[in-house]
Amino acid sequence: MEDEETRRFDRQTLFRYAAATGGAGVLAGRTGIADAMRAISAAETGRLQVMDWAGYGNDGGQSMFASYVKGHAASKPQFTYMTNESDALAKIHAGTKADLFRPYVGWVKYFATSGLVQPWDPSLISNFRHLNPFMVKAGQYGGKQYGIPDDWGFDAILYRTDKVHPASNSWGLIFDDRYKGKISWFDDLNMITVAGLYLGFKNPWNQTDAQLKKSQDLLIKKKKNVRLIWSSETNLWEAFGSGDIWIAYAWPNDWVQMKKKGLKVAYMRPKEKPVAWVGMFMLLKTSSRPKLAHAYVDAWSSTKSAKWLEDNYGYGHANTIARPASSDLLKALQLTNPRAVTEPAAHLDRDIPRRATYANLWEQVKAS
Amino acid sequence: MTTPGLLGLPVAWLGVFFVAPIVIVALYSFNVYTLFPGPHGFTLDAWHTVAGSAIYRHLFWKSIEMSLIVSISIVLLAYPLAYYLALSGTRRKYVLLLLLIAPFLTSYLLRVLAWKVILGDQGVINSFLVWTHVRGPEHPISQLLYSRFAVMLVLAYIWLPFVALPIFVSLENLDQRLLEAAGDLYASRWRAFFAVTLPLSLPGVIAAFFFVFIPTIGEFVTPSLVGGTGGYMYGNQIVDKFGAGFPDWETGSVLALFLIIVVAVLTTVFSRFLQPQRAAAG
Repeated sequence: MEDEETRRFDRQTLFRYAAATGGAGVLAGRTGIADAMRAISAAETGRLQVMDWAGYGNDGGQSMFASYVKGHAASKPQFTYMTNESDALAKIHAGTKADLFRPYVGWVKYFATSGLVQPWDPSLISNFRHLNPFMVKAGQYGGKQYGIPDDWGFDAILYRTDKVHPASNSWGLIFDDRYKGKISWFDDLNMITVAGLYLGFKNPWNQTDAQLKKSQDLLIKKKKNVRLIWSSETNLWEAFGSGDIWIAYAWPNDWVQMKKKGLKVAYMRPKEKPVAWVGMFMLLKTSSRPKLAHAYVDAWSSTKSAKWLEDNYGYGHANTIARPASSDLLKALQLTNPRAVTEPAAHLDRDIPRRATYANLWEQVKAS
Repeated sequence: MTTPGLLGLPVAWLGVFFVAPIVIVALYSFNVYTLFPGPHGFTLDAWHTVAGSAIYRHLFWKSIEMSLIVSISIVLLAYPLAYYLALSGTRRKYVLLLLLIAPFLTSYLLRVLAWKVILGDQGVINSFLVWTHVRGPEHPISQLLYSRFAVMLVLAYIWLPFVALPIFVSLENLDQRLLEAAGDLYASRWRAFFAVTLPLSLPGVIAAFFFVFIPTIGEFVTPSLVGGTGGYMYGNQIVDKFGAGFPDWETGSVLALFLIIVVAVLTTVFSRFLQPQRAAAG
C-alpha cells in the first residue's frame, strides 16, 4: 500500500511532476499551472469520488464542475450523497472511499483535528486568489488550508410583513407567542446556538452546562409556537408559500424565492446578528486522487461557476468577483461587502467543542 | 430436493439479512462495536441512558398511542367495507377490491404529499370552510396539517387496504352454511353476526390490526412530511440518532433494539391469533 506521506500532494510533488512534464511552463504562470495540473492529474486514475449534498452532483449541479469534466473526461466525478456532516462522518468511518467532501465551516476544526483529512495546496487552485479572505481564513487550522470555501449564506429570519409585526429586530421573533402555530425553525443543532445568542450568552458556540440548560428550556418552552421544523428548503418554501407559516429561520435565497411568489416578506437581520455559514471542500487523507480533487475544487471556485450558483441556487459564493443577476440576492447577501459574513456584521459560524452534547439536547427538544 | 435443502436458502437469508444485522446493532448498543476508532468495550451506558430518560419513554408511549388509535380506527372502518365486499354477494366485489387497492399503484410519497394539498391552511378543506363561511379566511383549522392528527389521518389512509384485505379473506372463507344454520335457528342477523361471523373472522381482524400496529410504531417518513413538531415519533428519534447533529449510534441502537423487542413480543402474541382453530376455541 502506498505510504500516506507519498500520497499527500505538496509543492515538492508538483515540482517533481513539473520537471517531468516540461516544468518551465508550469512555473511561468497560471495557464501553465492549469496545463501542468491537467498533465499530472492524468497520472491519477479512476473516477473522482465526491461526497456532496443532493443538488451538487449530477442531479442539477453539473455547471459547477463542467470545466473539470471537460479537462478530465476519464476521471468524471462520481457522487455519494451526504445528508449532513454527521452523516458524512459516519460514512467516512464506515469506509466510504471518497476523495473530497463538503462539510460547513463549523466543522473545519473538528475534521482538521480528526486525522481524516489533509490540507489543500492553494497554489494549485488558480481561482483561490478570488476567494473571500475571511472565508479562506475560516477554512484554516494550524496555519494550513483544510477547507476551500465555496457556497455560503446567512441564518436569519424571514417573515411576512403583512401578517407579522416584530416587537424588535431580534431572534426573539422565532419564539414569539403572538404567532403561535405560524413559526418554523430549522432542524439543526444550531437552534441551540441561536437560543444562546438570543439569551445573550457570551459564547453561544461553547455554552456552559447551565447556559445549555437555559437554551434547551427556552426551546422546549417555545416549541408549542412552532408548527414545522424544516429540513429542506423545498419543505420550507411549500409551507411558507402556502401561508401555513409566516415566520421562519431561513436563508437569503428563501427570502428571494418567497418574494418571487409575490408574498410581502422581509429578511430581518436580528440585533443579535445573523449567523453566516460557508461550505468548505475538504480533502480526505485517504484520497488516491488529490490532484484531481484540486482540479475539481478549482472548477467550483471559478467566477463562471460562482455566478451560476448564485443565479440558479440563490446561495452566495466565496468567489468575490461573481455577481448574481438578481439585485435582491445581491442585497440580501451583501455581496459587495466581503466583511458581511464576519464581525461586526455577522457571526461567522464556528467550531462547537461539545457538538455531541448540543446534538443530543436538540434531539431532546424535538422529542419533548 | 430434500427438506433441509429447501429450508437452507430461507434460513440463510434470514441469518444474513435479519439476524446478523440485529446482532450488529446489539453490539453497537453495548459499545462493543463503535463508529469511532479508539478504546471501547462492553458497557450498558447507552441502555442506562435510555432507561433513565423520561423523554424517550414519553416519545415511545406517544408513538404507541398514535399507532393504537390508527390501528383501531382503521379496523373499525375497514370491517364494514370488507364485510360488504365479501358477504353482500355483489358480482363486482373483485372490481371494488381492485379500486380499494388502486392508490397503491401510485408512489407512497405522492400519496402522502397529496394530503398536504388537502389539509393545508389554504388547502381543499380549509378553502371549502372559508367558501361556506364556516371559518374566516384568517382562521383556518391549522391543526389539520403539521400535527399529530395529520400523521394519524395519513397513516390510516395509507394502511387501510392492508387492514381490509385480511378481513376480507377471513370473511370470504367463512362457511356460509353456518350463517344459514343460524338463520334456521331463528337467530336475528345481529345475533348471527355476533355469534358466528365476528368470532370466525376475528383471526383476520387481529392479523389486520397487527399488520398496521407493528410497522406504524416505528414510522418516520409520514411524520417527517406532515407531522410538524407535534407529530414527531419514536422512529424519527432513531433516524436522528444515526444521522443528524452528531452520530450517536449507541443510543440509536438501543432505541432500535427496544423497538425490535417490543415488535417481537407482539408478533409472538399475534401469531397465536393467526391460528383460526385456537383463536375460535379460545
